[in-house]
Amino acid sequence: MNGNSEETDDALIARFAGNGITRDNADHFRGRLDRRLLMARCADCGRWQHPPRPMCPACWSWNMAMDEVSGRGTIHLLMVLHQGPPAPGVDYGAGHPVVTVELVEQPALRFTSTVSDDFPADDLAIGTAVEVEWAERDGTPMPVFRKAAS
Amino acid sequence: MGRTGRHADAGLPEGGIVTNRNPMKDQVAIVGLGSTGFSREGGASSLAMALAAATEAITDAGLTAADIDGIVATNEPGATGPEKIAAGLGIAEATHHTKPTPVAMFSLLDAARAVFTGAADHVLVVTPVVMGPWNSRRAAADPWRRGARSGILPVPEDATMAAAYAAWASRYIHEYGATKDPFARVAINSRTNAAANPLAAVDTPLSFGAYEAARMIREPLNIYDMDLPVDGADAFVLTSAERARSLPHTPVLIHAATSGIVGKNDEDQLDGLHRTGQHVVVDQLRRTSDIWIDDIDLFYPYEGFTIITLTWFENCGFCAPGEAERFLREHWNDDAQRIEIHGRIPVNTHGGSLSEGATRGTGHLREAVHQLRGTAGPRQVDYARAALVTPGGFFFNPQGAVLRTAP
Repeated sequence: MNGNSEETDDALIARFAGNGITRDNADHFRGRLDRRLLMARCADCGRWQHPPRPMCPACWSWNMAMDEVSGRGTIHLLMVLHQGPPAPGVDYGAGHPVVTVELVEQPALRFTSTVSDDFPADDLAIGTAVEVEWAERDGTPMPVFRKAAS
Repeated sequence: MGRTGRHADAGLPEGGIVTNRNPMKDQVAIVGLGSTGFSREGGASSLAMALAAATEAITDAGLTAADIDGIVATNEPGATGPEKIAAGLGIAEATHHTKPTPVAMFSLLDAARAVFTGAADHVLVVTPVVMGPWNSRRAAADPWRRGARSGILPVPEDATMAAAYAAWASRYIHEYGATKDPFARVAINSRTNAAANPLAAVDTPLSFGAYEAARMIREPLNIYDMDLPVDGADAFVLTSAERARSLPHTPVLIHAATSGIVGKNDEDQLDGLHRTGQHVVVDQLRRTSDIWIDDIDLFYPYEGFTIITLTWFENCGFCAPGEAERFLREHWNDDAQRIEIHGRIPVNTHGGSLSEGATRGTGHLREAVHQLRGTAGPRQVDYARAALVTPGGFFFNPQGAVLRTAP
């Protein structure tokens, strides 16, 4: 925990400028600074929604809050990028995996990121069980997925 | 509202949505076409291309600027708004002027509805596309493109927008045990057909071997699975079917047309490929069209990415989900190196987005109109009377139309 979640809006926006940060998803990015994977959840009916939106589409409650997910799930979508936007530590020559992970909290609640540096190549496949771990990019914490401990 | 009969007959779901009313059926016609053609070189402004296509379309319709009272200018990146198109064309006054979001049918639907409701009598649709600086090294070096912004986030870990198609292609392959063979056939079909289209940006043949050896971009999709960024513009003129009868070309009637989405359409949160906006479009067309896949002569499924085409084949009902691989193999003309459904329905006769260029569906619509009115030149299908056109992908822009000539 680095306690940076108190960062000002200006600083937060500067830090996540490339991530499409908005008023509606800012608290998710604040959570990243504390190495917590926060997603939007309705405090009334309990439904998760991602990306975060200000109202619950299931019950129309405005009582939305950020809640921490377990970070456990399975790879649902998978691509390997051979070109893309420049990013520190990303080597497109080797192929950069991007996984969309279906989280255990709710069907079709998914989070997209990359995998840990030591992810076993043979297990990089749809259906593999994974869990979140925290890496850094440009000094900013970033949630990635490692193979789940079996 | 008597939904039950037609729904039951068509085997459509009763739940949820919409309407089977289609008072616009065959009431609006596409009467003018213009196109600059498409290239990877560029050199003209978006406005110059829009005006070139627009003047050609208005002239083709047998009209002048004085007749145009509606302007629909697709809100493509870098495109000029309808008010400046009106200024550029010397239009006196207009009573309908809008800039719908891209992918072709939003603009065509808007124009058709303007004609049908009486908002305007002769509506121009113009859609210029320009390469972004991110599309190629040559485009990146062009100072006139530098100000353009992509909607794509500059972080790699993103499965939205264009990247989402590679992500869901992986899911399609996983769920159905598919190979890349049907993807290759879609790409080769477009390249083969583009060879007979002088507007196309690329006309060199593509072999299965070259497809397999191609550079991966977003694996599992390679360079040939992705549409071809180009510069160019298409334009259309629409008017009432009644007015169309006194204009030069055989009127092509909009028989049924729609867009469709599911509400839960965030790209990486989509419930699955079993129910996307493509299904919504198909169900709505089946409710409102008297013509369906057994009665069409031409098929124009979008192929901004090859995976989109496979699901259009499946969702339109040519084959079951996951069966596109078998279907395309069985309906492949090996001598011609292209798809011919039942030996008679060609697919994307102009070369589509993969080879004519990334028109975002205007090419598919323009070519369908050329075929139906008999002006497709060396590509002409002589029995062309009805076409199914399905622009758009999975998420926020699936669209469809059945076009026909008068019976």
